[in-house]
Amino acid sequence: MKRSSKHWITVILILSFLSVIFLIPTFAGDRLPEWWGKVFPRKGLRLGLDLKGGIYLLLGVRADKAIEHELANLKEDLIERLNKEKILPKGFNSQDKTLTVNFFSKEDLDRVRKDIEADYKDILEVEEKGLSLHLTLKDQYIKEVQRRAIDQVKQTIENRIDEFGVVEPSVQRVGTDRILVQVPGASRQDRERIINIIKRAAVLEFKIVKDAGPDEETLLKKYGVKSGDELVSLGLELHPGDTGQENERYFITEHEAQVTGQYLSDARLIFDEYGRPAVGFSFRGEGAARFGKLTGENIGKRLAIVLDGVVKSAPVIQERISSQGRITGNFTLEEAKDLALVLRSGALPVPVDVEQEQTVGPSLGKDSIEKGKISMIVGGTAVVLFMMFFYKLQGVIANIALAFNMLFIMGFLSAFGVTLTLPGIAGLVLTLGMAVDGNIIIFERIKEELRAGKSPLAAIDAGYERSFWTVFDANVTTLLTGLILFWFGTGPVKGFAVTLSIGIVSTIFSNVVVARVISDLIYAERRVEALSI
Amino acid sequence: MDLIKPGTHIDFVGKMKKALFISWGLILIGIFSLIFHKGPRWGVEFVGGTEVHVKFTNYINSDNIRRILSSAGYSAESVQQLGLAQSNEYLIRFSPDVAPFERIQELQGKLEKVFESAVGKGRVNILRIDYIGPKVGRELIEKGIISVLLGCVGILLYLMIRFEFEFALGAVIAIFHDVLITIGALSITDKEFTLTIVAAILTIIGYSVNDTIIIFDRIRENLKKSTNMEFKQIVNESINQTLSRTILTVITVFLVLLALFFLGGSVIHDFAFAMIVGIVTGTYSSVFIASAFVIYWKYRKGILT
Repeated sequence: MKRSSKHWITVILILSFLSVIFLIPTFAGDRLPEWWGKVFPRKGLRLGLDLKGGIYLLLGVRADKAIEHELANLKEDLIERLNKEKILPKGFNSQDKTLTVNFFSKEDLDRVRKDIEADYKDILEVEEKGLSLHLTLKDQYIKEVQRRAIDQVKQTIENRIDEFGVVEPSVQRVGTDRILVQVPGASRQDRERIINIIKRAAVLEFKIVKDAGPDEETLLKKYGVKSGDELVSLGLELHPGDTGQENERYFITEHEAQVTGQYLSDARLIFDEYGRPAVGFSFRGEGAARFGKLTGENIGKRLAIVLDGVVKSAPVIQERISSQGRITGNFTLEEAKDLALVLRSGALPVPVDVEQEQTVGPSLGKDSIEKGKISMIVGGTAVVLFMMFFYKLQGVIANIALAFNMLFIMGFLSAFGVTLTLPGIAGLVLTLGMAVDGNIIIFERIKEELRAGKSPLAAIDAGYERSFWTVFDANVTTLLTGLILFWFGTGPVKGFAVTLSIGIVSTIFSNVVVARVISDLIYAERRVEALSI
Repeated sequence: MDLIKPGTHIDFVGKMKKALFISWGLILIGIFSLIFHKGPRWGVEFVGGTEVHVKFTNYINSDNIRRILSSAGYSAESVQQLGLAQSNEYLIRFSPDVAPFERIQELQGKLEKVFESAVGKGRVNILRIDYIGPKVGRELIEKGIISVLLGCVGILLYLMIRFEFEFALGAVIAIFHDVLITIGALSITDKEFTLTIVAAILTIIGYSVNDTIIIFDRIRENLKKSTNMEFKQIVNESINQTLSRTILTVITVFLVLLALFFLGGSVIHDFAFAMIVGIVTGTYSSVFIASAFVIYWKYRKGILT
């Protein structure tokens, strides 16, 4: 036997050992002993949602909204600042990433310009045009704001899904502004709830009620304005109401919320005195102090509990309360439970849109796996029989190499924690057929060398040597397409690309190394008269 | 055992002109079909909308399904059979305005009810619902085109390094040939153009180049050996020498593709179909397109006379 073969045997044995180790969690599942996780990886091949059934949601994060919020905050700051300087601005205007402040006189403008420039130099570009200042957010800062918003959205959704209580949910970032949520095993009945839990902004505000009425128009007329937006300059805001009272379909409250949901320390399902589901919440620390102040100063007035812009209830404040409260409304048990959950996990800083959804029933997955298995067994058996029939002993060698190849591919797919999808299975089955191509190239070459009059062993040597670059070139291009697919693909196609790429690398190795080593082992110690090929 | 007798000399090069007619014929039929069908039937992942995969236990055809749907006040954009006929699986597609995201749950409940009232309780099963917003689809089409072009450029570059320019160009032309015929075949059979089909097409590209390279590799080797043979003859000789490998590999790949086609289930079915077409054209084009192009180029350029 060649000396180089001995090294390769070691490599093959190590790879086989690793593959088996990687594969064990896939097949053993939860039956693995405790110590296994400490020594070896626990992760096995995971099944994609198309095989397991469940809900797949691709969410687009409206990161642009974060910029709107940023500009709104900037405007509030400036109003304060100008107020302190006793300057009355002519007006504000915000567009895209620019806030424009209009002044009545050049004098006013000059008085604040320097300070604004100095205080906001990290985040703003200041430009003067006539009697206005154009304040533009810097691109660097915008990126930072958006990144933070997306991180926070992801974190919040993660919390919510975790609390919803399903097995192995996954929340991942995709690209720059997308979040992929996968909830395996979720049934179609859970779908609505899960989507509501994820999408709900859950912005909770507590505001003092100024007025309430059955319709928008009469209410606005009272304050001499035409639209709800105009109320803001009076420090007020219009909210639709959902309190179940016919004569209170709209509320006018203070614009600014003294206390918001971010101060909540807990929210849970409770029942009111009529036994209806409601959500109880509590404050601690700063939240309790703020809530105490708000209620203490407004005894006798009504407190609007505003959820996502809608007044849910507006009880009269009887006394100073600091730590406890509740939201009542026409909730079902599930709605109240879910509302408590989203309030606990915090508000979404920016809205999300569902851009893609897939709901797979459990039967499709089972059926697919079953059919994938059958086609793999049938296809694989056909290839193995064909190789044995056609190439005799060499065919057996190719088949052994194919078995190793499959072991390596499965092992490394589990090692990389690849999620096996339906196209992935198809790719795997296809690999069975294509993997022997390398062997065929080599064997045909050996035959040619034999015909050219070489001795059996010399023919094997020449066959493997001369075919190497052919096999290599032919496969590298396929690997190239595999890698491009990986970059391009989302979800299932990505799984296919990984399967394909790992398959090719493993196939080249099996064709040129494993088959060769087995062949060397067989022919090493004997004098070979003729090859069985 | 030998599949092809050693020393076989089939005159491939002499048949290249005729083959060119066949290729153009097939490509044109495909293009006509595409024009007739107003482009490929894009999968929901590319154009947006809602797609419902339904399995019935008893026989039903797409006309029945359309009738049931319209009696319930729904108009489906398309109703397409999935997999083998006896599986009774259908893909029903709704345009984004019929089923926007907010109304999927309602649609699903209604579908279940109308089908159950028509075929009986428990005889219908909604296997999967896909919703895709319009934004994702546009991005996917862009990325899909970029990835195919990028793949071709990558292959072109790699082959230019390993072989000569005309070989690289020939291989890429063969790729376009195979992809066009496959897309044409999908259009003729009115199959949906999905992401899985994109995966199949990229695999076909890989296979087509793979097959071409094996012949090119032999041409390169034979060029080094013999100086007194005409280039045409060397190409013909090389094709003949690699013929048994070509056929054997097609057989093994075919064996698994047939298994996938008949046993792989409804979702894999179309993938296997596209692959079967692609493997046949990929093998054919290595000889009659890629190699033919190299000959054409060499003689046109007057490198050889």
